[in-house]
Amino acid sequence: MPASPGSPPSCSTPSPHIEVKGLELYYGSVPAVRGVNFNVMPGEQLTLLGPSGCGKTTTLRAVAGLEQPRAGEIRIDGVPVFSSAQKINIRAEKRGLSMVFQSYAIWPHMTVFDNVAYGLRVRKDSTSEITEKVNRALEMVQMREFGSRRASQLSGGQQQRVALARAFVFQPSVLLFDEPLSNLDAKLRADMRIELRDLQHRLGITSLYVTHDLEEALAMSDRIVVMRDGLVEQIGTPDEIYSLPRSEFVADFIGSANLIRGRHRPDLDCDGLTALETATGQLIYGMAYGRKVGLEMTVSVRTVHLRISQERPVGERNVWPVKIEKTVFQGDFSQIHLYWGDQRLVARCAAMEPIAPGRDVYMAVEPRRVVLLGAGNS
Amino acid sequence: MRSMESWFPAQKVVGYGVAAIAAVLVLYPVYFLLQAAFDVGDPQVRPPTAYGADNFGSLLQYPQIMLNTLTVSLAATVMALAFGSLMAWILTRTDVPGRRLFEQLMAVPYYLTPLLGALAWSLLGQPESGFINGIWRALGGQSHLIDINTPYGIAWVMALFEGSVAFVMIAALMKSMDPSFEEASQVIGASRIRTIMRITLPLAAPGVLGAAIFVFAEMLGSFAVALVLGLPTRYYVITTAIYQMIQQYPPKIQVAAAMGASLFAVMWAMLYAYRRVVMSGSYVTITGKAFRPRLLDVGRLRYVLLGICLLYLFVAVVLPLATLFFASLQKIAVIFPTAENFTLDNFRTAMTMNAVRSALSNSLLLAFGTATIGIVLMGLLAWLIYRSQLPGSGMIEYIVMFPQAVPRLVFAFGLMWAWVVFPIPIYATLWLLLIAYLTVFLPLGVRTIAGVILQIDKSLEECAQMCGASWTFRIRTVTIPLLRPGLVAAWLLLFIASVRELGASILLMGPHSKVITPAIVESWFGTSSELTAALALIQTLVVALAILVLVAVTRRISAQPVD
Repeated sequence: MPASPGSPPSCSTPSPHIEVKGLELYYGSVPAVRGVNFNVMPGEQLTLLGPSGCGKTTTLRAVAGLEQPRAGEIRIDGVPVFSSAQKINIRAEKRGLSMVFQSYAIWPHMTVFDNVAYGLRVRKDSTSEITEKVNRALEMVQMREFGSRRASQLSGGQQQRVALARAFVFQPSVLLFDEPLSNLDAKLRADMRIELRDLQHRLGITSLYVTHDLEEALAMSDRIVVMRDGLVEQIGTPDEIYSLPRSEFVADFIGSANLIRGRHRPDLDCDGLTALETATGQLIYGMAYGRKVGLEMTVSVRTVHLRISQERPVGERNVWPVKIEKTVFQGDFSQIHLYWGDQRLVARCAAMEPIAPGRDVYMAVEPRRVVLLGAGNS
Repeated sequence: MRSMESWFPAQKVVGYGVAAIAAVLVLYPVYFLLQAAFDVGDPQVRPPTAYGADNFGSLLQYPQIMLNTLTVSLAATVMALAFGSLMAWILTRTDVPGRRLFEQLMAVPYYLTPLLGALAWSLLGQPESGFINGIWRALGGQSHLIDINTPYGIAWVMALFEGSVAFVMIAALMKSMDPSFEEASQVIGASRIRTIMRITLPLAAPGVLGAAIFVFAEMLGSFAVALVLGLPTRYYVITTAIYQMIQQYPPKIQVAAAMGASLFAVMWAMLYAYRRVVMSGSYVTITGKAFRPRLLDVGRLRYVLLGICLLYLFVAVVLPLATLFFASLQKIAVIFPTAENFTLDNFRTAMTMNAVRSALSNSLLLAFGTATIGIVLMGLLAWLIYRSQLPGSGMIEYIVMFPQAVPRLVFAFGLMWAWVVFPIPIYATLWLLLIAYLTVFLPLGVRTIAGVILQIDKSLEECAQMCGASWTFRIRTVTIPLLRPGLVAAWLLLFIASVRELGASILLMGPHSKVITPAIVESWFGTSSELTAALALIQTLVVALAILVLVAVTRRISAQPVD
């Protein structure tokens, strides 16, 4: 093997567990992944999030070794498992990873016990060790009493738990998840989300998770990689991704946001705020968060950050009179559609007295909630 | 050297090794066939002294043979698909009583062999002496009711006895289809007929098209029925014409070769079309999520459907067997025999003939060898073609499917021509027949196993890989167990196909390596139809016994259901 800088450097910051650099993958001549870079730190849960066809599953499968990239490098513990430059492509079974599949892939010809024991038998553990580890794993996913059942006798949620136990029972260094909850119903999905997160913390295992479900990503991840068209749009903690979207795509895909376009008015900037004038002459103050401020700008305002009141609130900046178009009651909150000059905006307010359509009210937003998106986005 | 491993995995070595074996098996005889087809020199001299396309030009002198072939093959394919689809739908999708039993009985015509069917229907349907026409005249009818020695008579027998493949393929397809597709249609208010027309049939269409191509190829290459029923009226199809040209003196080797080469050129194009169909449709219907098939409640209609099942088995099983049994017990086979016409001499003669006994044991030995070696070879090939991402797997598929495009008789001719000049003396031995069987049944075995492979969700194998299992380990623990029903079916199909094989055997068997089916044909044309009937029944009985044993054994092996 060509010399590889395998041993982790002994500096204070831990070296990444998984490194993906310049990853490109084509299906025939169709690009699926077009140059993706990210790191997963030890014990971290990193989520690849994006709409279908964005290349997230392909990226995961490339890390797993189930797809062969055209270019780039993938390192695990500093050791390259794929490198187009060094012509390295370690087979999936030699990478020491484990994976939970979208379809669960529970082998129908084996019992639950045999399914879970498979990875241990591959590793030639002793029978007593296997029994002990499998039972402990089944215990952790609350499936202990189902050991002798067949896969076809299990419900979706149970199959999911077995798939999970099978994936972590042999103590892999990394767990990969390919939309593991997408086939479950909503209630079960919400429960499994918390369970999965707990389990991951208890095991302290590094995991790379793929989903198209925003809530899932926000609830479960240490960091999120938002992908689109085979490229990375933004990497950050759930809070960063949510609060400080970098592009219109991220702002729109992650939760509901109002996008407001305008022209920068440097002459009106003050207190570290950036002033923006919309086409209809409305003035809105926002924060750049260190991003480069161009001439034509777009800001993103989350629907929950728009405050609606009957009386004019105190303060001078970012307070406007608006007209109610309609209010949609949605249980925990009401969705208020309103006219802000010519532009239609949406606000979400905690359950409140319904306001009649056509009423004139006031809308306010804190300037720090008005996030300037990065320049160069359409 | 961790990085080196990826360049020499067992997977690639085995893959390319198996592919190479298949390529040699198929291409070596094809080369000699083509050599003969383009040989325009002195037919007595090998290797050829001159090459050209004149042999193909001379095919134009036989337009009637081409027309005959198309008529018979098309008619037989249409009939076989109609029977096969109807029966497959009835037996896999409706709650007709006794489905499981009928499903097993559906394979019986295939076990009986088209040759036996042709012999029986010849006794039944000849215009003068046929039993049915005898009854017709006894009831006051004029001349004859049916004439089996016609194109549609030939097609009828072919469809009944060679069409089982259509049923097997379509039934497998229907079983693997998620019933929720149909339920979804019914739930939104579509009638049953509409659901069948708009959901079931379109979903099944690629599979049915595949079956159609397969059956049509089978019919083009069909030999036994056309030989038995066509020869008396000198009605030749392409295979019987080729046989005639090779057997006559002096043989027309070159024209026969050109005829065969033209035939597989047509089939080559059809296989290309088939491949496009498979590639465009998704066959991944079994996922890790197990589903339970649900049956359609057809109400009163089930008794009509039951009647259809019974009728099919009557004309394809009961009637032929009864006819042969009836004929074999007579000195001269007639429909209304007198008491002194009955005799057991035919069976006595058949049992004491050494030639028959050795032919039968040779056939069983060969069938066992072919099936056992075959599922290993063909299972690996199917996996290689449809699952591995090894470069060149598309090319391998073409090569493997090639024998389907070549009538067995023609292929055997290529084999004969090839192995005569081969340095190891296997010509006229059972080894040559084994090689021939393994070659001509490649498409059958690979297609059968591939049908199951395509239905297994890829992630079931990938998951084993992610658990750290090597290729050989996951083949052993995941792929083979999941494929087991398919492998068992393939073994059975190969075994049966080998025992009933005629087209290749008739040219390749030597005086000391006789096999049963050609021996029966020799008896039909050489001795008496009554003795032949006895021979055919003895063969059938032995095969049936072998199959019963196999079914019992495979039941035990596959006692654990894979659902």
